Amino acid sequence: MSARPATPASPKNHKVRAAQPGQPMYGCEHLQRLFNQDQATTNTSIQHYKAILRSIFDTNPLISQTAKAIDGQIVTSLTPTYLCLQCPSTLTEDDRTKHGTKKSHRFYVDSRSGSLYCQMCDDLVWDPTFEELRLKKMGTGTFSSRKRKHEELFETSDPVRDNPTYISSNTTAASCKANGLRGIYNAGATCYQNVVLQSFLHNPILRNYYLSDGHSAGTCDTHHCLSCAMDDMFQDFYAVENTNGYTAANILSGFWISEKKAFENLVTTKEQDAHEFFQFLAEELHERNGDGRKPETGSEHSCNCIIHQTFYGKLQSTTTCQNCSGVTNQVQSFLDLSLPLENLSHKKGKKGSSKHTGSLTLQECLDEEYIKSDKCEYRCHNCTSMQQARRQTSIKRLPNVLSIQLKRFEYKQGRNERAAKIDTPVQFPLQLNMLPYTNRARGPQDVKENYELARSCTYDLLSAVVHVGEIDTGHYVSYCRVGDQWFAFNDHKVELAQKSDVLNSKAYLLFYIVRSLS
Amino acid sequence: MPADAGDTGKAGVIIAPEDAPSMDKLAHAIVDDFLYNTLHDLLIKVHRDEKIARANTAAIKVEKLAVNTIDGATADPKPDVEVETDAAVYKDGKVTLKGNPLKSTKEILCPRCHFPRLLYPTDGKGARKPDPGVIYCKKHPYIEKPGYDIYGQTWVAPGPGRGKKKKDQKLDPNDPSSPAPGAEGSAKDRPPNVLSFPSATCSKCKRCILVTRLNNHMGSCIGNSGRNASRAAAQKISNGSNGGSQNNDNTPPGSQKGTPRPGSRAGSPRKRDVDEFDEDAEDSDQGNPKKKKVKPNTLTKKVILKAKSPATAINVKKDRAKGSSMLNVEQKADDETKDSTVQVAPKKQAPNPKGVSPAKKLKLGTAKPSLPSPAGKKAKRDRDMESESSGALSSPPPR
Repeated sequence: MSARPATPASPKNHKVRAAQPGQPMYGCEHLQRLFNQDQATTNTSIQHYKAILRSIFDTNPLISQTAKAIDGQIVTSLTPTYLCLQCPSTLTEDDRTKHGTKKSHRFYVDSRSGSLYCQMCDDLVWDPTFEELRLKKMGTGTFSSRKRKHEELFETSDPVRDNPTYISSNTTAASCKANGLRGIYNAGATCYQNVVLQSFLHNPILRNYYLSDGHSAGTCDTHHCLSCAMDDMFQDFYAVENTNGYTAANILSGFWISEKKAFENLVTTKEQDAHEFFQFLAEELHERNGDGRKPETGSEHSCNCIIHQTFYGKLQSTTTCQNCSGVTNQVQSFLDLSLPLENLSHKKGKKGSSKHTGSLTLQECLDEEYIKSDKCEYRCHNCTSMQQARRQTSIKRLPNVLSIQLKRFEYKQGRNERAAKIDTPVQFPLQLNMLPYTNRARGPQDVKENYELARSCTYDLLSAVVHVGEIDTGHYVSYCRVGDQWFAFNDHKVELAQKSDVLNSKAYLLFYIVRSLS
Repeated sequence: MPADAGDTGKAGVIIAPEDAPSMDKLAHAIVDDFLYNTLHDLLIKVHRDEKIARANTAAIKVEKLAVNTIDGATADPKPDVEVETDAAVYKDGKVTLKGNPLKSTKEILCPRCHFPRLLYPTDGKGARKPDPGVIYCKKHPYIEKPGYDIYGQTWVAPGPGRGKKKKDQKLDPNDPSSPAPGAEGSAKDRPPNVLSFPSATCSKCKRCILVTRLNNHMGSCIGNSGRNASRAAAQKISNGSNGGSQNNDNTPPGSQKGTPRPGSRAGSPRKRDVDEFDEDAEDSDQGNPKKKKVKPNTLTKKVILKAKSPATAINVKKDRAKGSSMLNVEQKADDETKDSTVQVAPKKQAPNPKGVSPAKKLKLGTAKPSLPSPAGKKAKRDRDMESESSGALSSPPPR
């Protein structure tokens, strides 16, 4: 197979992953034999495995899905094929046994998942060494342990602190029961806060930040600091064995005490907008953890605080003058993407496509905002006059956690001014590819780069906030994913949820996390 | 593509009719392949989790054995011994597997606490009885049971008055674990998985407030500016009672509403009153079990005052009937049990044990004259006052 490059002479020897307590050294006895033969075999095995993973994840799937049968016939299949670890053959499931008996090659790699099959076990084998490589490749696209920027932030380079015995003698392990799954009591029309807090609690980046003492409540001397309240809450969720609901008293009082003009009308005893609370909380936490500068809307403000590293991305709007074809770029940072629904659902309704009456997809909404361009008037520097222009907005930098608001609440102007809720169902995927909405999507790329780019733009749904009921009497509930399991959070009540429950909900806020982090 | 796989894809489940055109057959084959892939992916995921968990279990077991053989006194995490179980070998501080852990290892040990994992939920869907002789890891499978959360917990029903009254009552006989609204006040009779709403301390005034009332409380305690405060002020004025008193926020809204001045309530929707009353009731509900015992005096006092013999919670239900007949209020007995604790809740924090009660009494005084309208709509208000009065009377000055 041409896709498999010849093994380059590697100066360094590949090592089998060191023994970990509570974990076997090898995936099975047969792999143990393979790794214990000699260093050369270990080297070639690991190099081959890496090469196979590259061809699976970085190249056109046509290559790894095409097998050459024993009789010389070439078969491309949709279902998995098996790549021999010991020679460059790709085999169908049926031919795998024949190949094994003929060549005594016993290890194969599943072409769809990269997992290893041992013919002697007649089973898939999860070897610590190979699994580490596979997970790295799937996650970050590279085998090196280069960490993303935000991870470095939490890294403690202190050798004493990194010593496991130091850690075990100075900490108490949290109970196995403390898993962060608790409800939050409704303190009287505060479900709009609860849903946002739950989505923060199950955000791995924020969780790691707070649980690794990112904001140290002990040394913080701000009174009624919301970040300290968050710290308390994370401790209570992940370190305490309590399964009863949580009372977010400190968050609530911090919220009441906070003096933010922009959110003044949020602070009432009435039910409020969860999205506004999200913005409030994000800004407040930024101020407690960040560079102290107020986030200016519309500017390209970047800061190293946890909130910016988690939620903030950058938008680029390109304005092209229709007269002189001069291009102006403007970049601004965003906390979330707000997608209007009303116009789009109207448009769709007019088209009269009876198949999806009023039903939209998230991708359609994103297309409308970040692919299509619109006309506007602007003052062109070249022409020094007002000109017709085309404006096109795309995402310049994607955030680690992408928050999307579907604008379900619209203030209708007119004779009877009132806020109305748009109940149009919007289908959203569990897995979202954001590549088409970035400015990288335009312009040439080579194939390999394309796969890597697509991977870095793949997002997994993390949580969804849903508003049920009418606009003024409704209730907020949320769904959050922990591992592969979804949970429904309704104030103090936590229940198991099916993926279908999540996907059929009429989401209001969606939080997606970039795949390479999870 | 379908040529080599017979008539359809690899799963062999989605089969086109014999006489279908070739494009149809191709489409069927593709869908069939996708079905196969979906199942394949799911299976791989489950297989991976399970096999790794079992392999680690085998490793943990053999490591334990190794530590035990050298007589744990040294507590060396990597003893220099060679031991072997059915599933794994321990040698030179390394663990290697013997055979397939899916076959050799039957249980799963928690990698953190090394106790066996409970593999089935204890209640609800797919439940099995755990072995009582085994100490399990505290991480249990989540429970899937309608009306209960993932830990098998449920909450004290909000009680009557939230527009669900009939439904709640209907539920009682069918579901013994759902708390009877009447028995709400008696926490000791509840099964342990039935929780009540807790209280929290207000960060400003340090008072203990029931969680469901916390936001409202903070609105008046902290949020002393803006239109909300002015609205609250307006309400105070219109309520006419203790306008200048500083303990407004401590007065349960039920009693505020208790002042029957129809004009003042014109704008507020009916539901709100109900809610607030309710929350009030819950307020008293929580945290009472111990205190109840501590203060038998007040209890009996009240008992005498109100109904004949609700000393035990079981009686409360029966008493309902009596209560209602006596006082024209359906939830009479209810209130009473709740009331019995009204005086208790504020006690908990007791930074300054005097204050509220005088105010309450004061209010009571103003409220009482208006009591005599027993009919329909006013019933609730009366009830509120009733509860207020009983609380104030029976309690030694709280707060």
